Amino acid sequence: MSKLSFAIPSKGRLKEQTEQWLAELGFPVSQIGGERGYQAEIAGLGDVEMRLLSASEIARGLIEGSLHIGVTGEDLLHDFAPDGASEFRIVRQLGFGGADVIVAVPQAWLDVDTMADLEAAGAAFRKLHHRRLRVATKYMRLTRRFFAAKSVGEYRLVESAGATEAAPTTGAADVIVDITSTGATLKANGLKILDDGIILKSQASLALSPAADWSDEAQASCLKLLERIQPDASAGAKNLLNTFLTHV
Amino acid sequence: MTPEQIVEAASAVFAQTGARPVDPAYVLASDIPLELSGEAVRARLCVFTDHRGNEMVMRPDLTLPVAGMEAERLASGRNGPEAYTYAARAFRLPASPDDPMEFTQVGFERFGRESSPDEDADAFALVQAAVAACGIDNWRMVMGDLSVFPAFVDALGLHGVTASLLKRAFRQEGGVAELLAGAPSAPEVDLAHQLSASAPEAAALAFLDALRERSIPMIGTRSVTEIIEGLKAKAAAADAGGVPEDARKVLGALAGVNCSAPETAEALSGIARAHGLRGLDSVIERVTRRVEAIIDAVPRVAEAGRFRSGFGRRFTYYDGFVFETYAGGLGERQPIATGGRYDGLIAGLSGGRARASGIGGVVRPDRVIRARESVA
Repeated sequence: MSKLSFAIPSKGRLKEQTEQWLAELGFPVSQIGGERGYQAEIAGLGDVEMRLLSASEIARGLIEGSLHIGVTGEDLLHDFAPDGASEFRIVRQLGFGGADVIVAVPQAWLDVDTMADLEAAGAAFRKLHHRRLRVATKYMRLTRRFFAAKSVGEYRLVESAGATEAAPTTGAADVIVDITSTGATLKANGLKILDDGIILKSQASLALSPAADWSDEAQASCLKLLERIQPDASAGAKNLLNTFLTHV
Repeated sequence: MTPEQIVEAASAVFAQTGARPVDPAYVLASDIPLELSGEAVRARLCVFTDHRGNEMVMRPDLTLPVAGMEAERLASGRNGPEAYTYAARAFRLPASPDDPMEFTQVGFERFGRESSPDEDADAFALVQAAVAACGIDNWRMVMGDLSVFPAFVDALGLHGVTASLLKRAFRQEGGVAELLAGAPSAPEVDLAHQLSASAPEAAALAFLDALRERSIPMIGTRSVTEIIEGLKAKAAAADAGGVPEDARKVLGALAGVNCSAPETAEALSGIARAHGLRGLDSVIERVTRRVEAIIDAVPRVAEAGRFRSGFGRRFTYYDGFVFETYAGGLGERQPIATGGRYDGLIAGLSGGRARASGIGGVVRPDRVIRARESVA
């Protein structure tokens, strides 16, 4: 892996908006093999290995170091990194793909508006039912870290692959941790966000992998991109890249 | 000493007490640690899914499966004290990069004996005898007592709801400080008071009316009664004034206790005196008696031992005396020996079908070797 390995989302709005952002910077992306291909080329960065991947694969690749740089959601980066935010570097939030990772409970729980209330409800629930309250989510690590920081221990995680907001209605879980942009789906499912239950305000972001093998060639291509993104940065792009790679 | 010699030396010390050697189940249902201790422990568990999709874990220590065996034995009608010893593999995701995922623990667990300061000291002295047999004499230790914080909370005379909240928060990562910072909300006070004044059936109807007026659907597994109880409990705690300033000062002073072992009694009784707290004599007397007994048995603790009030609060199922021993260049995340009392564990594992006091301790041979190689 000597040349820069750069991944962007392979489908949907996220793909379109990322391609538009790159084109505006002067780096147009063209797909090889038409709309359905998963290989692509990017102009203006030199010899770059351009990949189209799912947002999850991009987040994993950046954390493992199989990708140098990529566009993905901050929610996924934070959730997949075993040791937290030291395992990736956000270069720039891109202003699209915005959504919040939140804790929501049934609106009918008039006694629960904060995480501390949820803790108390969880303790009473366990005493009565001899089991813990279920929290459905696909964000296993983010949830565990946030609940621990808030001193809420009275719960069990249930991994949810989709339609998490339906879990309280079906009885699969009582509480959910999910991503939402408008809150409309939550409301439609009889749920409310806790007052202090916003775990993360996430956006699509350009992120860099400190774990990747940064050859001179990869650094040179990355610098071209950074110079265009932050032309007025007081530190030069070279310093900027070094800061991203070494800062822990 | 080779790793085998260290395991043998420590095992011999525990075997001399007549404890029964065991090697219980390696694989446990993940419900056992997770329902017992909560999701916080998941970060360290080696979890896998069996062929039917059930979540399982590799034993994270020997205490859990050994206590499981003992709970079975007691629940099936046998009784009387029992002691087990082991030199066996345990599995945990590393907390430090240089810790292995799979390691040996040499230890013992004692059930059904008296839960007393002298028994605590005896168990500690046994662990230290094993540490000495491994050729480590330049160690330091820290101890705590997980029953001290709840006793101080009780002495503050707070509302029951607030007191339980503080006791649970003490055992969580964010601790009491995080709980006091993000205090519970006090919404719906009027509704709560209205519901408190009504008979149960009328209260349920009034609650459902309140939901209907706001177009809120009744979903989830908590019943109307549970939610009403939650509302009433919160309103009562708010009416009682939450956690007043003086109580916060007491908890702050208690959190700051970090003294050499012989100073423990004075540190704790000083706080009780300064704030005029009553009802703490028995817990302070127990801690004092334990420190004395430990120093009698292992005199080095007088210089190399400390007491910290918050020590061990994250040790999931422990509920009384707790300690860790450190040596060489290894820091506090890597004790060479640990142990403590868990009088509630058998009841927790058996769903209340059996009860017995419990105390145990282990030596970690892999860390003993690293401590012997490194110089502090």
